[in-house]
Amino acid sequence: MGHSTPEWVYIGAVTAILIWVGAESWNIEHTLEYAPPNSETVRVVGQQWFWSFEHADGTQEINELHVKEGIPYRFEIVSNDVVHSFSVPDFAMLMDAVPGRVNTMWNVFDEPGEYLIECREYCGMLHQDMRARLFVEPNTDNATAVTSGSEPTISQGTGTATVIAPGGGEVGTTGSGTMRVVEPGNMTQTTANDSAAGNNATSGNGTSSGNASSTAAASGPTLSIPAGASTAGNPAYAPDTLTVKKGDVITVSNDDTAPHTVTNGASPGDADAGKLFDTSIIMPAATAQIDTATVDAGEHPFHCTVHPFMTGTLTVQ
Amino acid sequence: MVLELKKPRPIWEIIFSTHHTDIGLLYIIASMTALFAGGGLAMAIRAELFLPGIQIFSGQADFARFFTVHGTTLLFLWLIPFASGVGNYLIPIMVRYKDMAWPKLNAVAFWMIPPCMFLVWGGFSDTTWNAYPPYSILKAPGPAADMWIVGLKLLGLSSVLGAINFTVTILKMKHPDLPLMKMSLFAWATLATSLMIIVAIPTFAASLVMLYTDRLGVTGFFNPEMGGDPIAYQHLFWFTFHPEVYIFVLPAIGMMYEVIPTFSRKPLFSYYSGVVALIVISIIGFGSWAHHMFAVGMSFTEKTVFMVGTLAAVPSSAMHVFNFLATMWGGRIKFAAPMLFSVGAILLFFSAGAGGVVNTAMPLDFLTHDSYWVVGHFHLFVMGTISLAFTGFIYYLFPLITGRMYDTKLAKIHFVMTFVGIAVIFGIQHILGLYGLPRRVVDYLPIPELIIMNQIASFGGWAIGASYALFLYNMIKSAMFGKPANPKDPFELGTGVEYYYDYARREPHH
Repeated sequence: MGHSTPEWVYIGAVTAILIWVGAESWNIEHTLEYAPPNSETVRVVGQQWFWSFEHADGTQEINELHVKEGIPYRFEIVSNDVVHSFSVPDFAMLMDAVPGRVNTMWNVFDEPGEYLIECREYCGMLHQDMRARLFVEPNTDNATAVTSGSEPTISQGTGTATVIAPGGGEVGTTGSGTMRVVEPGNMTQTTANDSAAGNNATSGNGTSSGNASSTAAASGPTLSIPAGASTAGNPAYAPDTLTVKKGDVITVSNDDTAPHTVTNGASPGDADAGKLFDTSIIMPAATAQIDTATVDAGEHPFHCTVHPFMTGTLTVQ
Repeated sequence: MVLELKKPRPIWEIIFSTHHTDIGLLYIIASMTALFAGGGLAMAIRAELFLPGIQIFSGQADFARFFTVHGTTLLFLWLIPFASGVGNYLIPIMVRYKDMAWPKLNAVAFWMIPPCMFLVWGGFSDTTWNAYPPYSILKAPGPAADMWIVGLKLLGLSSVLGAINFTVTILKMKHPDLPLMKMSLFAWATLATSLMIIVAIPTFAASLVMLYTDRLGVTGFFNPEMGGDPIAYQHLFWFTFHPEVYIFVLPAIGMMYEVIPTFSRKPLFSYYSGVVALIVISIIGFGSWAHHMFAVGMSFTEKTVFMVGTLAAVPSSAMHVFNFLATMWGGRIKFAAPMLFSVGAILLFFSAGAGGVVNTAMPLDFLTHDSYWVVGHFHLFVMGTISLAFTGFIYYLFPLITGRMYDTKLAKIHFVMTFVGIAVIFGIQHILGLYGLPRRVVDYLPIPELIIMNQIASFGGWAIGASYALFLYNMIKSAMFGKPANPKDPFELGTGVEYYYDYARREPHH
């Protein structure tokens, strides 16, 4: 034990470093832990395999989250099925979405731009595709925008909820809230889909949910998604082979309890998946329409981007 | 001396033996089988991640099956059985007793491992190695998940039986002339490990039963739809598996305490601090489990408590590193393969520990959690530290077990390739994590930085794979045709160096 002095010095140095790390962490985490009282609340729902967001004013978004720069946001993170993890790596934000719990986290986004939202907890078959996009918009309404770190002073209610479709076209309203609908999938694919959605909207053939008019529903062919379709093995579409004349407007009704899509292509990996027709997300009990005027004659397999095991075939004569 | 390839015994005599060296050998062979099988899965995983998109797997679920079985195999079928095997081989010799305290119980504990291997590999579950509910109880396909649960249940039982046997052998069967404070540090490490197993594993064993009944639908412990709490499982799981990290690493440290003084031809710097560090870590190791769960929605107080608990566990690991370096300081070091692997393990142990301090700092944890940083971090531990030390110890025991010498040149090539491979793949995975690449994904965004770093990582991984193929060749060839080793001094360290204790003088069988 005579030569133990260097060891004590070494242990002392290690302990000092650890105490410094611990104290700094405590200090920083203490600021990060409590959301400012004037934060805007956004509810984040994780579900196999997409994210949905609900703003305080009732606006709902799927796989896209629009926030304003400089405003403190408080996120309430919940899950509808298994454990997910809501993560925005660019802002070092991470919080698990655990069924039966509401986890909270807050942040002030200090740089406008487009960021990646990802799921970091293994959640099943399409875990790797459970991505969404975060849009931080410049805050032009309020000159006193704060950056993170300083005391936030902005009150709620800056957004007036003009609803703009991803490509720029207007999308109809459903009930009290408004809904922006974006197809889940790769970041790289979305630009093409966005412009397609925009074109549809401007040409008056908007295919998003909420546009169903009763006359069209009564006359055209119908495709329904029966209850239980989200479980692999159950009937996915009724009928699963549908034959229509070119120009017919197909009404798709979702009778299941999970969101679905009708998207052309045999699987999400197809090169032209979503190029010919795509209803985007249809929420439970909602309907959507497919206009076959722009679809070439022939056989077109289709699937659900949320549940790729759901497939069917559309024949246009 | 004991395998006696020169005087081969019929295989059934080894298989049905209850002698501690035979059981030890069976453990070592079984665990090395798992090492190569689990490593093979890792090669496939690296091939998939070489490019973005989905190439060789049919999708995320298949990929999940691969990394689940990879992790389960290497943690539970390589690390734990190997440590038990070496313990079986050496502990009775070190405490000077004729066998383990209960030889038949010892054989029972070993023979639970092959059924467990069959269940894990036959099922090929996709639950991830931590099987978080509600995925594992509601969505994970059976019978794979059920087989995984039963397999791990058996393995837990086997570990507890083995640990009880070790504890009793060391504390009660130790030769009366051998005081505890003269016992070798490997025996101390095995004692600490065994006590930790006895305290830690039953918690997980209980939660596996709850998981299974939840899967059957008769209970709802972890099922939120029936009023259960998935977080409760995570607490039970990590209460077992954070101490389990130390259960993995302590035998490796014990082995390094055998190898480093021998090949430095110098007495250990401080036996006393080694013992103190082993005891302290086995107690403090139980106070840090929830640092794996900072992101599940814990309160600030909980996070603080577990951060402090985790940081408190660091100095005792640092004491081991200091002890190793101070022992080597001024020694006439001979860099034979066991020493090379041990020194490599010290370096990587230090890096892994530094990364661990970053993980436990609360604000930084939210950056690294569930990203590739964590993958790199714990692989530096389990592969870089523990498996390197174990591999070095295989080289160390080789002349003792077979009476032959391994090919020293191949062993050195093995070390260089493995060490470089580990530094490359797990170093780059830390950076990938900071770029935001999540764990457990079959596909990633086609961003040039991610692609390049994943490709470098894959080359590192394949270098490790190739070097271990070389290792297997070396082991098989040298065991059969290697040149006979000098039983007194197989590593040519010169006179005055005592290793293997008095193994040579022992009665081989009874």
